[in-house]
Order: sequence, then C-alpha cells, then structure tokens
Amino acid sequence: MDCIITIEIGTGAIRVAAFDLNGAMLGSSKGSYPTFHAKPDFSEQDPEQIFITMLYILKNFLNEKIHAKKYTVLCICFSSAMHSVLPIDKNGVPIGNAIVWSDNRAKKESDDLKNSALGNALYKATGTPIHPMSPLNKITWLKNNDKDRFAATKKFLSIKAYIIEQLTGEYVADYSVASATGLLNIHTLKWEGDALKHAGVTKEKMADLVSVFYSPAKLKKEYQTSFGLHDKVKIIVGSSDGCMATLGAGVWGDGKATVTLEESGAVRVMGERVLQDKKQRLFNYILTEKDYVSGGPTNNAGSVFEWFAKQFGDFKKAFELEDCIENLIDEAGRVPPGAAGLIFLPYLQGERAPIWNANAKGVYFGLNIKHERRHFIRATIEGILYAFFSIGKTLEEHRSFKSLSANGTFASYPFWTQMMADIFNKPVHIKPGSGSDSVAYGSFLLSATEIGLYKNLHEAAQSVKLPDSFLPQTQNHNIYMKHYRIFEKLSVKLFDEFEAIADLQQDD
Amino acid sequence: MNQYFLTKECKELHAFPHIIEFALKKIDTIQFDSFKKETSDFLRLYYVIDGRFDWMIEQQRHILYPGDIAIILPGQSFGGEKDLLDIGTLSWMHLELQQLERNGKIAMGKWSRLSDSECRTIGRILLINHCSVLSRLKEAGIIFQSIQSEFINQEVGYAARINQLIEELFILIARQFTGQNNSRRDFPQTFLKLEQALRQNLSHQWSVEEMAALVGLGTTAFSEKVKSFTGFSPLNYLINIRISEAIKLLKRPDVHVTDIALDVGFYSSQHFATTFKKLTGYTPSEFRKKNILTD
Repeated sequence: MDCIITIEIGTGAIRVAAFDLNGAMLGSSKGSYPTFHAKPDFSEQDPEQIFITMLYILKNFLNEKIHAKKYTVLCICFSSAMHSVLPIDKNGVPIGNAIVWSDNRAKKESDDLKNSALGNALYKATGTPIHPMSPLNKITWLKNNDKDRFAATKKFLSIKAYIIEQLTGEYVADYSVASATGLLNIHTLKWEGDALKHAGVTKEKMADLVSVFYSPAKLKKEYQTSFGLHDKVKIIVGSSDGCMATLGAGVWGDGKATVTLEESGAVRVMGERVLQDKKQRLFNYILTEKDYVSGGPTNNAGSVFEWFAKQFGDFKKAFELEDCIENLIDEAGRVPPGAAGLIFLPYLQGERAPIWNANAKGVYFGLNIKHERRHFIRATIEGILYAFFSIGKTLEEHRSFKSLSANGTFASYPFWTQMMADIFNKPVHIKPGSGSDSVAYGSFLLSATEIGLYKNLHEAAQSVKLPDSFLPQTQNHNIYMKHYRIFEKLSVKLFDEFEAIADLQQDD
Repeated sequence: MNQYFLTKECKELHAFPHIIEFALKKIDTIQFDSFKKETSDFLRLYYVIDGRFDWMIEQQRHILYPGDIAIILPGQSFGGEKDLLDIGTLSWMHLELQQLERNGKIAMGKWSRLSDSECRTIGRILLINHCSVLSRLKEAGIIFQSIQSEFINQEVGYAARINQLIEELFILIARQFTGQNNSRRDFPQTFLKLEQALRQNLSHQWSVEEMAALVGLGTTAFSEKVKSFTGFSPLNYLINIRISEAIKLLKRPDVHVTDIALDVGFYSSQHFATTFKKLTGYTPSEFRKKNILTD
C-alpha cells in the first residue's frame, strides 16, 4: 500500500508521521533536541544534532513502521518552525549554531527599525511584524555585532533549508518559510530589496525561492540506501508549521479561524487577501502563491501554565508534570467562571500580538483575602485564554469568523477548549485525538494535493471533518467579558510600569 | 556533649589508614588565626552542630548554620572568613581518598565496598556541583554521631561499622546534591543540564547509571523519562550527540578521523566508522571527502 511521510522540524523536536492515501495516520515518532541559551537573550540549536536526530528517527521509523509492513513511500513532505537563521560558509558548513525564533538578541535592531518609516514600509511589503524574531533583525544584529561571522557567511539559511540541502544537495527556500523572514515581498514573491539592503546582504546570500510544492533533486544515493527508499520517492519542501497547522485544521476561506495552543500559540485565518493592519499587529505569511495565512502569535500559552504547575503544583512523583497539570485543571473546574474576580495577565515572556510589548510582565490583579490557591489556578487559565481572545478580536477587525478549530497539546484538555468556546462565544471544533497532529495532517494534505489526490488545497482543506465541538454558553461568556474589559485595559495601562520593572529586572 | 579528637597518631585510627582526623569540637572563645584558609590534598567534611560559621571555600563566602555540612575536595582552599573559628560546635573528618581526578575518577581505597562505577558517579557528582555546602542535612549529623560512639565503645564489628557509616555519608551527600540541584519538577531543565555535562566531557564512557545519578533518578525511571521526553534511550541519545559533534569535526580538514573518534567518545575508529555509517550511510572518510570542497 502507498503512503506519505511527513517530517516536522519543530521548535524542540523532529516529528515523523506516515499517512495512507485516505489520510489515516499509520504511525508517528519523535526525537527531541535542546535549545541552548549561552546568554539570557540567546536561543540556539545545533544544526548537526537536528540533522542526526532526523536521520535516526526517520530511519528507525521507516524500518519499524513502513518497510516492515510493506508500505511504499510515495513522497516525503517537510515543515518547520519559522524565523530561524543559520549562516553557512563557502563550503556549506554551518558557522556556529542556528538562531531560532525565540531568540531575542536583536531587540535593539528591532526597536530602531519599528519606529521608522522604513519599518512601516517593510511591514507592508513583507507581512512580517518588526520583531526580534524575524531573520531581518537577526541578520542585522549579526552585521552589527558579529562582524567575522557575518563576513564569512556565504548564505543565510533556515534550519529546514539546511536539512534539505544535506539530504539533496540543493539550497532552496520555500515561499512560506521565506515569508516569515521579513525579507520577502509577499506581493511580488521576490526578496525585498530595501529589507536586504537594511540587513546588509544581497539576494545571492539567500537560498533560491521555490513554491511549497517544489521537489528538489533526489535524495543522495547514500541516504536512499540508508533509508531503504528508491530514487522515485518525491521530496516536497513544504511549508512552515503555522501554515500547515492552519491547513490541517481545515481552515479555509471565510468564517473559520484556528487556534494553536502549544507552549506558545497563535490565532490564524486563511484567505486570498493580505490583512493590512495599521498598527502592525498581525502577520501575513504565504502558504501558496495565492493563499495567505494571517494572524497573531502569543508567547504565553502552555509554557505559562507549565510554569505555574512547576511552581505551585503537587508533584506526587518526580517530574510527573502531566499528572500535576491534570490535577490543577481539575481543581480549577471547582471554581466558577471569573475566578471570583481574580484577573491574570499572562505576559511572563513579554508579548507579541496584539500588544507587541517585549517588556510586558505577568500580573495577578484584584486579589482579596478570600482568594485561595484554586482561584489562582483558574485565573491563570482564564488569563492565558483572554490573551488569545485579544488576538481574535484584533483579527476580527479585518475578517470575521464564526467558529474556531483548536489544536495543540493544551487544546486536548476539554476544560480549556470549553472555556475557549465560552470566552470567544463561538463553537470550537477539535479533531478527536489530534493533539498536535494538525501540522502533520496539513503536510499530508499538501502532499496529497501535489500528487493529484485533491484538485487544490481548498478541496483538501474541505475534506477535514471536525466532529467534536464545544458550544459556547452565553451565561459564562457574559461573565468572562466583564472581566476581559479590565484585562484589556490593564494590558495597555501598565505600559509605563512594565517598562520600569523591566529596567529593574535587567539589573538583576 | 564531650569534645573528641582523633589524629593519625592515635591508636584508635591505626585500623583506619584512610581517616586522617576525626573530631568533635566545642569552640567557646574566639582565637585569631585559629582557622586559616588552606588547601590540602585530602577531603574535608565539616558538619555544624551548633552556632553560626562564616567560611570561605574556594574564594566563595558561605555562612553555615546547625545541620549544614561543607564538603571540601582535595585542592580546594578552605578556612574562616576572618581566618578564625566562630563560636559553636563542629564535627569534622579528614579523609584520604586513593584517587580523585579532574574528570571525576575517584577511588575510595580498599576499605570501601562501593563499586568502581559507583565511585566514579559519586566523584562526578562531587565535581560537577560547584556548590560545596549542603544545608539542613541532619542525617549527616546522625552519621557523625554514630561514628563517634563506635570509636568510643569499640564493640564487636566496630571497624566494619565505621567504614559502612563513612560510605553511607558519601551516598547521602551524593544523593542530596542531585536532589538539591534538580527541582524534580522541571525535566526539560534538568535534562538540559545533563546534556551540557555530557557535552563537556564527551570522550568519557558514560554509563546509564552515571547519567541517572546526575539527574537524581534510578536507572529505570531515568530511562523511561528520557525515552518519553527525547524519543531515544539514554545511550542512543548520547550517540546522537557524539555523531553530531563528529560531523562538525569531520567538516574541518585539520583533525584526524581517529582523533575525532576518541574525542567524541567512541572507543575505536572502527566502532566510530560502523556507527557513523549505520546512521548516515557514509563512512567518516567518505563523508569528509563529500563535504570538504576545494576552492
């Protein structure tokens, strides 16, 4: 039987999955790698470790789940996290580690650009908000602060481009990942001259632009042998994890949005038009030459609840975080909506959309003598989801949606999903047992379209059936909105104090 | 509590060549220069029974309270902050170890029944933890007390008992160190620390027991946790790191393949070549040829 393999090069792990041609998952496997923080603002990963992890996981997966059951692999489709930068030298050898999306070293470069006319023009042209995450600012940082490395760089790749080059020998940048660099003009689909100039590079320093459906040269002979794959297996460069998750959630056209609830999160819509937000709050990334995924990212989703659990949860056994989280959620369920007036701003790691304030911090507000631990738990979850709602509200200034589809680890807790439905006052759909699989499923849909199983991505997205839905409860919604109003005001009102406390914390 | 003092010359210590000094001392007057900062080639353990002690260990100031224990490794400097002993009560022991090397290789000596690999693990834990003080370790005080009464009473089997108690103290300290440094809540954080320790000494033949001990888990729980977090068994994860470091070195033309193999922890270039080929499809030299382009 034929099958399609998907490979997601995520923030902390490689995930390999296989689907039959009807879209049923045949199995999956993951291998993780660390993020190093040589300095507090730095987040880096070792490209060779990612590559080896990928080889290891893929090879074992193929042997155990695919070859052993006599499946024939038709194609392998990649997806990856956005915003990474990996400089390579003239021999194609990485110069140091890859700088990943969460790296904040380019804060100053970003601030300087954001408040300029050029910054505004670049946001319009590239669709990427001006932020330390974007390769535009990271490369500018290298130019200003790491001159030797900058000078020795032949090309600035993404991690995915490096992995694909290792396997096939070809340097390619798909439009999708390229559209999150802040260096690609999303209207003309060419590298944006002014952005390149600002970063001090030319287009020769970037990989060649290709469509997400593009198939580079074949796997190198040695890898064909090592993986046990014949030379007709098609390699598809694929897209970014965010775009794939949106496609995999079946979000297409009007009326639908998707919410991803992983460590970080995002609310996204997909359509044929770019959303031009005057305040630069939303991103517009390319999926295909015709389709844009637009939305807003948050830094503070599952990671904040995990922080809470590690500090205040009960660990009956060492390191059993999941049990601890389940118990906390259970406790939160015993408190009525609104957490008795305790409000939480979840900005522990600064915030991106919609307030785009790197200095923002966490706040518990409205504390009184009757509040107990369980109120804190509930308030924490409510605060995290209010932040998602604030992104959704911003999106709805441009495009309305009637329902949400949720994915990601935390979306698999019904308590969270129901609360999301209540806060948004919209039904929330979730694919049963999907967890974080919607990236893989998006990659399957893209591959299936490329080999002709669907006419186009639109048809592919429509094939996604999302039966499980959580309906909003108006009564709860009204309570949440009373609290949300205060939440929204505080998020903006505390601007000066966020800055002052960030200064103090800088000195520690 | 009566004071007690045994030095090498005392006949009580003749049966214990590894114990250089064992003491319980009550300090009720301050004497200048009574506790100068010094280094020594033996291991020193100081347990505070009573009082407050202001000490310098390796140029770092530590204030110790009752129940705290200081562990000073051979070669580390140690003494009073003002070169004197504060008022209070202390127990201490100076021990001669057969060996303690920079890479954590430790040999207790013939008196101990701890296995070589257990000793190595304990040695590594002692070295990796730059912090030399454990706080509120009352169990250590009980061990000191028991050792003292064994010395005094000399009942049948006392020599074996004393050596057992010293071993117990080492085990307690090692376990406490890993427990103190790992919250036992944040596995990713703990695992990252382990990964850094592995990378700092990749040529070492790490065993699962050693890795588990650094994290403060038993081997079974450790292996399960690593598998579910990383997708790999501990040893396979280690091979991953070894091969990725090897790839970096192979891409530099100036390092010999044999040196690379040993540097990243394979015991022979043959072992390296087999593992490398199994994973990448290339032998190390083929891989190098493909990746080093001539200008």
